[in-house]
Amino acid sequence: MTTDTSPKERLLRVLQKKPVDRPPVLCVGGMMNAAVIDVMEKSGNRLPEAYSDAGQLSALARDVSRFTGFENLALPFCMTLEAEMLGSAVELGTAASEAKVTKEAFTSVRDATIPKLDRVPDGSRAERVLLAIERTAAVESDNPVVGSLTGPISTSASLVDPITFLKELHKDHEGAHRVIDSVTHALMLFARAMVDSGVDVIAISDPTATGEILGPRAFSEYALRYLNDLADQIHQLGVPVIMHICGDISSVEGLVAQLHTDATSTDAAVNLAKFKARHPQVTTMGNTSTYTLQFGSAEQVFRHTRQLVQQGVDIIAPACGLSTSTPLSNIQALTNAAKES
Amino acid sequence: MTQLAIREKVLVELAESVVALDEARAIAAAEAALHEGIDAYDAIQEGLLAGMNRAGQLFEEQEYFVPELLVASDAMYAGLSILRPHIRPESFEIPAKVVIGVVEGDTHDVGKNLVRIILQTKGFEVLDLGRDVAPAKFVDNAIEIGADVIALSTLMTTTMVNMDETINLLEGRGVREQFKVIVGGSPLSKGYADRIRANGYARDAISAAELVKRLLQPEAVAIAG
Repeated sequence: MTTDTSPKERLLRVLQKKPVDRPPVLCVGGMMNAAVIDVMEKSGNRLPEAYSDAGQLSALARDVSRFTGFENLALPFCMTLEAEMLGSAVELGTAASEAKVTKEAFTSVRDATIPKLDRVPDGSRAERVLLAIERTAAVESDNPVVGSLTGPISTSASLVDPITFLKELHKDHEGAHRVIDSVTHALMLFARAMVDSGVDVIAISDPTATGEILGPRAFSEYALRYLNDLADQIHQLGVPVIMHICGDISSVEGLVAQLHTDATSTDAAVNLAKFKARHPQVTTMGNTSTYTLQFGSAEQVFRHTRQLVQQGVDIIAPACGLSTSTPLSNIQALTNAAKES
Repeated sequence: MTQLAIREKVLVELAESVVALDEARAIAAAEAALHEGIDAYDAIQEGLLAGMNRAGQLFEEQEYFVPELLVASDAMYAGLSILRPHIRPESFEIPAKVVIGVVEGDTHDVGKNLVRIILQTKGFEVLDLGRDVAPAKFVDNAIEIGADVIALSTLMTTTMVNMDETINLLEGRGVREQFKVIVGGSPLSKGYADRIRANGYARDAISAAELVKRLLQPEAVAIAG
């Protein structure tokens, strides 16, 4: 390895389990959005306004990477496009508070008819994100472009009232499978469109699909099945897949290790060194505490992140979604710690 | 079968219907309780709530997870709907009151619902304000019902600040001391709770209920007199 390896090359090598000079440092977008207020102020491109214009979205993605030091570009900046495309009401939030679903399209899996899309709807926010990906990919040759996708369980829980949905995972297996299966199809349509627009990697975050919420039975029956389904189809397009699993994974660790990913990202609750020792085939990603990132000092962030590098974590990244009030200097401490060899 | 044996059998069936996550069984058992002349309050306490407590234990032991606990509470409520109209007024105790909600800007309410369910199974009266709740709504409702505890939940790092805002508003209106404020949600920590001057933080629904109990215990009298 020479030192002039490009970030894209380095990331793709890690995802192929090939040796590299040092771990890449990523923030993959979606719920892992790094467009914090400090970045938007320096950039002049702000959320949620940027969602109205592909050029602004692309410029914001560029500025996030440039100012933070993360070695990738990531789009979109929220996890609501998928549910919005399929009929839920979304509020775009403010610079400080990311977009969120305000009203799910369906009250129960029983009455849920997930629209069968044959393309990402014209003029939709999702379409502008695809245009932004296209522009970004056209000008970035050295930096990987990551397309962020919300996972099938979380998207389903954003389309059907989440409490009812969780009950129905237990009470109405057939109905739940029907909804999640249709949602997975729609997600694949969006993933394929992102690949066609030029992303190098797809990152799936599925924060409802946690061991703490679902437990091993439902995680295996629903999350593992549909996440792997999605990953297999994305792999057929020749694109690697990163997945982020939230929370404490102890009740589902063996199942998480069976995800068909090229890298698995976890929350701060997980000791990645131990996880890696038990599952050496898994490429690990994470997991600098987002609490330390928000409230700690730059020195603490740096120290914590260096530890992760020394423990052999394969890709360095924040452990979960960043607060928009996270100081830029702390994010830079994270990226600098990863790049110091 | 003796009257006592029948009573025992019905109470066990009420509890088991909840643990078995079976709404129809809970309704049938509640009807059987009324039919056998079992006091409705006892049927709730020793039957349905005992079952819900057991479900809560299984949740704590990671035998049940969120879907199971939610369905158990459905079974409990199904039984309650039958028994509640038959409670004799003298059975009522005045329970402590909790106002709960997800703070403004956040619509994730799974964790909040779990806390509500567990609190209700422990006998607290809970006013659930739902999700995306403005600070003033928490404060107004807490004052109106004379709440003992205000419980604030959020899943999002970006909305944590609205917990702070709610406490500021309580202080601004000079009513902070009337309430214990507890906070919870995955991005939070004890450190954050202390920072915003909350009375407590709990990492999950079970410990939230324990926290509320602990906060409401009459303070030990240190000096006799």
